[in-house]
Amino acid sequence: MASVTYDQATRVYPGQERPAVDALNLEVADGEFLVLVGPSGCGKSTSLRMLAGLEDVNSGRILIGDRDVTDVQPKDRDIAMVFQNYALYPHMSVADNMGFALKIAGTPKAQIRERVEEAAKILDLTEYLDRKPKALSGGQRQRVAMGRAIVRQPQVFLMDEPLSNLDAKLRVQTRTQIASLQRRLGVTTVYVTHDQTEALTMGDRIAVLKDGLLQQVGTPREMYDTPANVFVAGFIGSPAMNLGSFAVADGKANLGDTHIPLTRTTIDALTEEDKGEITLGFRPESLDVATEGEEGAFAINVNLVEELGSDAFVYGQLAAREVAEHVTSGAGEAQLIARVDPRRPPMKGDKIWVKVRAGEAHVFSSATGLRLPA
Amino acid sequence: MTTVTSTGTPAPPVAAPGRNGETAGGDRAVATVSHTVLILWSIIVILPLLWTLLSSFKTSSEIFASPFALPAEWSFDNYVSAWSEAGIGGMFLNTVIVVGFALVLVMLLGGMCAYVLARFAFPGRRAIYYLMLAGLTFPVFLAIVPLFFVLRNIGMLNTLPGLILTYVAFALPFTVFFLYSFFRGLPEEISEAAAVDGAGEWRTFFQVMLPMARPGMASVAIFNFLGLWNQFLLPVALNTDQDNYVLSQGMAGFASSAGYAVDFGSLFAAVVITVVPVLIVYVIFQRQLQGSVSQGTMK
Repeated sequence: MASVTYDQATRVYPGQERPAVDALNLEVADGEFLVLVGPSGCGKSTSLRMLAGLEDVNSGRILIGDRDVTDVQPKDRDIAMVFQNYALYPHMSVADNMGFALKIAGTPKAQIRERVEEAAKILDLTEYLDRKPKALSGGQRQRVAMGRAIVRQPQVFLMDEPLSNLDAKLRVQTRTQIASLQRRLGVTTVYVTHDQTEALTMGDRIAVLKDGLLQQVGTPREMYDTPANVFVAGFIGSPAMNLGSFAVADGKANLGDTHIPLTRTTIDALTEEDKGEITLGFRPESLDVATEGEEGAFAINVNLVEELGSDAFVYGQLAAREVAEHVTSGAGEAQLIARVDPRRPPMKGDKIWVKVRAGEAHVFSSATGLRLPA
Repeated sequence: MTTVTSTGTPAPPVAAPGRNGETAGGDRAVATVSHTVLILWSIIVILPLLWTLLSSFKTSSEIFASPFALPAEWSFDNYVSAWSEAGIGGMFLNTVIVVGFALVLVMLLGGMCAYVLARFAFPGRRAIYYLMLAGLTFPVFLAIVPLFFVLRNIGMLNTLPGLILTYVAFALPFTVFFLYSFFRGLPEEISEAAAVDGAGEWRTFFQVMLPMARPGMASVAIFNFLGLWNQFLLPVALNTDQDNYVLSQGMAGFASSAGYAVDFGSLFAAVVITVVPVLIVYVIFQRQLQGSVSQGTMK
């Protein structure tokens, strides 16, 4: 087992100017489960493939443990990878698929058999060992791909969106299985996903990437409670955080008739580049239903109510039309999401008043997008 | 779940019996026509083969007296005389040696060449590929004379190894062309999985990619086998030693041997001897063709 270190690792695809991964600095501790997450094209898969040795590193280094593996062949890195489409060998049985790496390594047959059977038991695959991949369901193939990685007993597991081909229910199930399996085996794991729910539920820590640049690394709680910039704020959390650009005056953030008080530290942290504006973020659950005229309250026209049983989410627009487009949910459109009491949801077309609970607003510089002290 | 809940009953199943009936009728018409055409085609193909087979058991006079009757006596005399007296046996052996070696070589070299061209980026890759394509378009007639001199200069004219080498060169472009697209189509992820599993390039090729390319290899092998087994021009020009004759040359000798002396019974026996291996090979490989390429890799 070993730690993983990206040291200024950069990958530029031939014929492109902008790096796909730009000077990535990242440390994954021994036994840690790190999730790389970001929108498509953010460089998360490329980062993983650089670690696997399937992608060249143009500058910088990658270390596994204390060993510099930047120029080491994939086969000599002592890693195992689970691919998005599983990449099982179609002409080999499940047992041969799982034991292929050991066979190449020259492990004695009896030992291969033993380790394959052990992994099959963990993954509930024992009765399928003699089948070919084509005779398995999607979930079973996924487990075979996992088994192929486990059997190796590698230093690092690499997983590239291994759940994206499963249906929603199986995905949730497998998610917990993989997470608990990783904790049991204690193998350092780097896991790539575009699904922030997967990231939040599985990772010891999460690294968010965008356009090849690392945005923030932290525990799921840190990412959720203190996003380092507007992008992370909008990306982590489901439904997404509401983000609005407000004008700063009189120690308050103002938008139309809404005035939200700001702290002294926040005001002091503003610079000239911000041009008297500030970006405020508030999660759907940070909004309380209020009454007209309360300080800091604003009106929402309800477009849609999403009831999930335990929660209800109101999707709407600021009632003040001229400023409505200043508030967006993290998803981008000019809409606002609020969590309301599921037993007394408003109706579509209603107008409700909400206000941000004190201390639960996130403040960001409108010029740099970086988090400001509250 | 939204506040706007649907309280209506489930939509009734779409029932359109008239349309279904029409479609079924249309299907039947298409099936009837296509089956009729296929049956006619099969008859056209099979009858001459059958007639040849029957005639190979008759004597020459019987063939002329009652060309469509069953043989009076099922005798293998024609086969015996064709095999030993006409020398078909030796030619058969020559053909098996030449085609066998050439086929193994061309599949091995062609597979490796196509794999490298399809999956590795290196300078000159396109140039090599287009050279291969050029070989495909180059008429073999134009190459006969140069080939003759090349083989003579390296001392391989009128030898079986010389013919094998020529066959390999002759069949390589098509093999590479066909397998190139096949290897391109195989999922990249699997070779990457093999690389991570610790397989080197050779092992990845022979133990992972080649087995996956089996359907493609099988089809090319059949094409090549047919083409080389029936190859006539190259041996006529480059293999003039009677001892090294291949079957196609023997056949031609049979048919062109002076007028009345043609032993038609033996000729037909020789034809059957020539055709049967082709049929056998086709039946064997045809099963391989049915395998699908990337099972287990799909979503």
